[in-house]
Amino acid sequence: MQTSLRHLDNVVIVDVVGDIDLHNSPRLRKTLLEVLQQTPRVVVNLEQVRYIDSSGIASLVEGLKESQSLKNRFILFGLSKAAREVLRLTRLINVFEVYETEQQALDA
Amino acid sequence: MGLSLKLVLSSDPRLLGAVRGAVRELASGAGFAEEDCRAIALAVDEALTNIIRHAYDNRPDESVELTCHGLENGLEFIFRDRGRPVDPAKICARALEDVRPGGLGTHIIRQIMDQVRYEPLPDGNQLRLVKYINKV
Repeated sequence: MQTSLRHLDNVVIVDVVGDIDLHNSPRLRKTLLEVLQQTPRVVVNLEQVRYIDSSGIASLVEGLKESQSLKNRFILFGLSKAAREVLRLTRLINVFEVYETEQQALDA
Repeated sequence: MGLSLKLVLSSDPRLLGAVRGAVRELASGAGFAEEDCRAIALAVDEALTNIIRHAYDNRPDESVELTCHGLENGLEFIFRDRGRPVDPAKICARALEDVRPGGLGTHIIRQIMDQVRYEPLPDGNQLRLVKYINKV
């Protein structure tokens, strides 16, 4: 799994590529928590994430919790069918702010 | 001899992707639809993750055996570890209304698999998961 950052006006987009599991979810968690300290709005691009398990979801939940404590926004977009299914199984699909496309996420 | 696959792997998270790939292909060969193949791979991944984290305290150099058997109408997965014995009474999917990280893997396994049985052994643990192709 790789992550890269794009900095726009008041937004940082975190582009995530690859599978997210126990091996690399700690790295994702660290990136998200660091970025949340830097900007009031973080948008996570999951279009290139084919697989995510509960450890990956846990990293996203930690990001969400941190954003709430900082009163920042934490937005996801581009969920694959597999990612949506894991969020559905864990009943977290309605907890996150989720959009289909990057533009929708940025306009939100 | 029917469909059968045995993996002996180290408790290293780097191997999870390889195991998922093998299990997806096995499930496909057993006749599961693509969506179920993905779900089965997820459940197996979650079970291995739990073993790595809880039975072995994240040590990457322990051993896990995963045996997969074809059944008449499904697949059986047996996980064997030699780590800290688990108390089956403590393995429960937690309430999901409490939004927090962690504790989701067991819930996912129970949502996907048709049978889930934990058994502490004198020298470790055994977990048996069964998924049927056409659940009535």
